[in-house]
Amino acid sequence: MKILKTQNLVWLLGLIPPVLFLLWWDHQAKQGGTNAHIYVSLAQIVGALRETFSSGELTGAYAASITRAFSGLFIGGILGTTVGALMGLFKPVEWALQPIYNSFRQVPILGWLPLIGLWFGSGDGSKLIIVALSAFYPTVLFTFEGLKQADTSLLDVSRVYRLTPWQSFWKVRWPAALLSIFTGLFQALAFTWISTIGVELLFASGFGLGSLMQSAQLQARLDIVVVCVLFVGLTGILLNTLIRQLSQRLLAWRSVRT
Amino acid sequence: MDYVSPATLTASTKPTGSLTLKGIRKQFQFKDRELKVLSGFDLNINPGEFVSIVGPSGCGKSTLLRLIAGLDDSYEGVITLDGQRVAGTSLERGLVFQDHRLFPWMTLEQNVALALTNRPLSKAAKAKLVAEHIALVGLKGFEKAWPHQLSGGMAQRAAIARALVNEPKVLLLDEPFGALDALTRVHLQTELQRIWLSSGATMIMITHDVEEAIYLGDRVVVMQANPGRIVHTVDVGLSHPRDRASPVLHRLKDEILAELTNPPVEASSVVPLRKDQDQ
Repeated sequence: MKILKTQNLVWLLGLIPPVLFLLWWDHQAKQGGTNAHIYVSLAQIVGALRETFSSGELTGAYAASITRAFSGLFIGGILGTTVGALMGLFKPVEWALQPIYNSFRQVPILGWLPLIGLWFGSGDGSKLIIVALSAFYPTVLFTFEGLKQADTSLLDVSRVYRLTPWQSFWKVRWPAALLSIFTGLFQALAFTWISTIGVELLFASGFGLGSLMQSAQLQARLDIVVVCVLFVGLTGILLNTLIRQLSQRLLAWRSVRT
Repeated sequence: MDYVSPATLTASTKPTGSLTLKGIRKQFQFKDRELKVLSGFDLNINPGEFVSIVGPSGCGKSTLLRLIAGLDDSYEGVITLDGQRVAGTSLERGLVFQDHRLFPWMTLEQNVALALTNRPLSKAAKAKLVAEHIALVGLKGFEKAWPHQLSGGMAQRAAIARALVNEPKVLLLDEPFGALDALTRVHLQTELQRIWLSSGATMIMITHDVEEAIYLGDRVVVMQANPGRIVHTVDVGLSHPRDRASPVLHRLKDEILAELTNPPVEASSVVPLRKDQDQ
């Protein structure tokens, strides 16, 4: 009981800096000094939230971004796991694909934007390619490595108990790889959200939180920009929590700190 | 003291588990150099006997155990179990490694059951064997625990249960307690002696620990390195279960330690230490 109380207190401590920050922000906005135009008051932000929400702009943009992120994760994740598994299980595939994979991986995701923009335009298709790519890289890597790093000492055990190659795959190599595959997917989930916002900011046409932010900035609507930033951040936190919960459930056998 | 009745576990009706090693030679190729790991290793082990093998690092003890287990088939010489030549791994020969090697994604129960994967037994019969052997090593109540939740000693008990659940004729132990703290080790030695007495299996244990070798072994095989060979065999000649404080054990320990810490000697020039104990 006492511990619970202390934890509550600790959580409250974490609220102090953001509250101080908001107070300082609001104070700056009300000063009317030389920089006043780069701050908006809390009241304005709440107003912008109400405005964009009731006009459907915010929800529409949010839905578009989330859909983009998860479609990208789905496409990139499936392709990535498949390619990674083929590379991990079959040597010739590994030899054929490893060099090109490694060189492509050196280019930051957003570095592909100009090329993809030229080839496919700046529509939703191009955005989806970028987002899917950001999920593809980590899933290939982690699936491949997970299947490669089969623990020889555990394979010895499977020989001692005369497991067939098939049993040995399902009981040793696959579960060992699964941990790695999940790690890759979780990383992909975080990457897709970041790249979704990034690609929407840079290919500003169409819907999405990034696009909304971009057009608000052009109209000097700082209050709407702040609302978007808040939603991007909150979603990031939500996704992180989701990932942590999922991995604790799916990988209970790991020595995770709970 | 909730020992499982040995009746369900013993194979004492027929004298099986007699192991013969004849002229075992094994070498590794190191670039242009040939490294002799074992040179002409001969040993006969009686059914139900406990043989300890001690020797310095690099004397080929662990290699020897891998050969008997059937994990490595490239050697010269002949290994037979009850007259049958050993080839490949077999459920008749269990193996306990120095590290427990439990599968981290399986519970203790599933890990022990893994050893029964390819035994033609009913589900119920398998579950019964698993439960019996978990109880045998004193882990009742931990069936659903993950390996990371077990202490080092408990994990090693689980590994012993997994190796014994097939009721192998021979159990090979490769420094099973080497990674454990001193107190846990002493405790598990006593436990292993109890398990050995109740299972009736032949056991061969590799160890660095001379005291452990003498406490558990009917015979202690002392090896030397470069090339790996037997320098002599000591009959302990005390009945089980044993008293750690026995003066005989202490005298033997001092003698073997002196032998192992002396500068290496030629195999041919070594005179058996305890002729009077040979039968």
